[in-house]
Amino acid sequence: MSSYTSYKSLCAAIALGLSVSTLSFNAQANGEITDQVNHLKDHLGEYSEEVTWLNDKYDALVTRYETDGAKAVDTQKLLDYWEEVNFHSAIETQYIPLYATIWQNIYGIKTSIENGDDAQQVRQHQQALTQTFWQALGAVKLAAHYQDKGVIDKVKTTDTAPTTGPAVITDIEKRLDKVVAKYAEQLKEVATTMVHDTYMERFEGIEGALIEQDASLVEALEKDFNVTLPQAIENGKSVDEVRGIIDDMKQKLGKAQTLLEKAEQNRKDVF
Amino acid sequence: MLRRTFLQSVAAAGALAMMPMGIRSSFAAQAGAVSVKDLPALEGDLTLYLGRGEGGLYEKVLEAIRQRNPKLNLQIRRGATAALANTIVAESQAGVRRADLFWAVDTGSIGMITDAGLAQPLPDDLSEQLKPGFRYPRWSPVTGRIRTLPYNTQRLTAEQVPGDIMALADSDLSIGWAPAYASFQSFLTAMRILEGEKATLSWLKGVSRHAKSYAGELGVVMAVERGEVDVGFANHYYTLRLKAGKPDANVDLAYTKSDAGCLVNASGILALSEGDLPVNFMRYLLSAEVQAYLSSEAYEIPLVNGVKAPQGLPDLASLTPPDLDLRKLADLRPTLNLMREAGVL
Repeated sequence: MSSYTSYKSLCAAIALGLSVSTLSFNAQANGEITDQVNHLKDHLGEYSEEVTWLNDKYDALVTRYETDGAKAVDTQKLLDYWEEVNFHSAIETQYIPLYATIWQNIYGIKTSIENGDDAQQVRQHQQALTQTFWQALGAVKLAAHYQDKGVIDKVKTTDTAPTTGPAVITDIEKRLDKVVAKYAEQLKEVATTMVHDTYMERFEGIEGALIEQDASLVEALEKDFNVTLPQAIENGKSVDEVRGIIDDMKQKLGKAQTLLEKAEQNRKDVF
Repeated sequence: MLRRTFLQSVAAAGALAMMPMGIRSSFAAQAGAVSVKDLPALEGDLTLYLGRGEGGLYEKVLEAIRQRNPKLNLQIRRGATAALANTIVAESQAGVRRADLFWAVDTGSIGMITDAGLAQPLPDDLSEQLKPGFRYPRWSPVTGRIRTLPYNTQRLTAEQVPGDIMALADSDLSIGWAPAYASFQSFLTAMRILEGEKATLSWLKGVSRHAKSYAGELGVVMAVERGEVDVGFANHYYTLRLKAGKPDANVDLAYTKSDAGCLVNASGILALSEGDLPVNFMRYLLSAEVQAYLSSEAYEIPLVNGVKAPQGLPDLASLTPPDLDLRKLADLRPTLNLMREAGVL
């Protein structure tokens, strides 16, 4: 997403509420998310410094690999650097697709080093990571702007369930983005549990209404939730492959949302 | 007694459906379905704990009640039914009461609250609106659902599906089930209470030899329709909704007789605080309009006299649900132990 067009898409996504701010964040795998994420503007300077620091750290580590080889590098540091910064929770709560890409690139560097790949290959992963960090900083700045204007919701600390079919679909899409992020973090069990919970706590509640509209669509999504996606995670498919399955599911969910909106309009009044 | 009285009431409902509209309306009024036009306005503060329900339709009902009663300040806390029941008990133990009402999607959670002595008694005139067999002193069923055997119509006829749930264990039919699903576990609890632990364990082991597991019961019905399995265990509305979206679906419903296989379970509501307001709120849920809405839109079975059953549900008079106090379904732990022992959980 390096072009101006992609940047515009990102703006639109955040403005349209495609951030994850309506999801609940309690205890996460990477530690507690504090109320700081509801005051992004006050922390933008800190986030900029952290992104610079991160880029320097990853660059230095890859340079060490180039000059001294794998034995000179502690790949655990790649994860520690990222988990150390407050910027981590800022992007995790505001724009989860980029958060997932960050983890994907970090693991790209780690795996490449551990496999003893050519330094140039490792450098490519690191450059992609650098680019993603800057994009993520841009996304957080944009979110801070919208947050300041009061047009995006606060990050919730308690669970509030969506109450209409179309709202449930929006919530499912956000949860699936989070599945990619957790998978990119290599938290397979967390990702699998999230898929299961999303099915049981959200999709299962709307599929009765949806099946009246399009039985084959429900059938396809049932398979995605219960077979295709969990198996891809279980079998250790690449992050891009898992993301591809979820993108496909989101297309189907988009169709489902339209159908449910239409059904809601046609539904008779209670009284 | 429950089975007999239920039969009488569904027979009456069936006869009612055949009457001309004018007569039907007047009979309905006599039998207990009350229009919201005749209910008192709701005024004041009310907090409802709402178990997750039918994809937003309960929300539509609540919103309609709100709009009709602008002086009602209705606060809603939503969550999984069992979790809310635990919360209510925990709040009570801490000397706090935040909820005035609890609307649960299953009677097991209702039983937990009534057993803890937290539910207020209900006036007789409210309970009497309900079909005989569904009248309880401290909680009110709202709508019902019946356990069914969806079967693939390309492979079987209704007559080939056993009318005895216990016979499924020894049949040569391939079966779809969702053991982790709450409705299945309630059904199995009913079997344990009615048939005993030994017979239920044996049934579980027998069925598991030719059963395929699915995450949910809609998944079971769809698998039956695809022909992946011959027959399944599921609540009635999944099949009705599938057929609403796909009228030529290769699935139909069969029912067992007088056993857990045709258990009628219910969603229910109870009052946690005293006074007229919580009870009058419950009257809205039992009104002719809300009962008809949940029947036509959610395919739930109305439990108030004089309201039509959902379209597509076979002859109600032929149903023979077992004689069972639904609150006993709260006793889930021994059921889960049996399922673990049988290796299905």
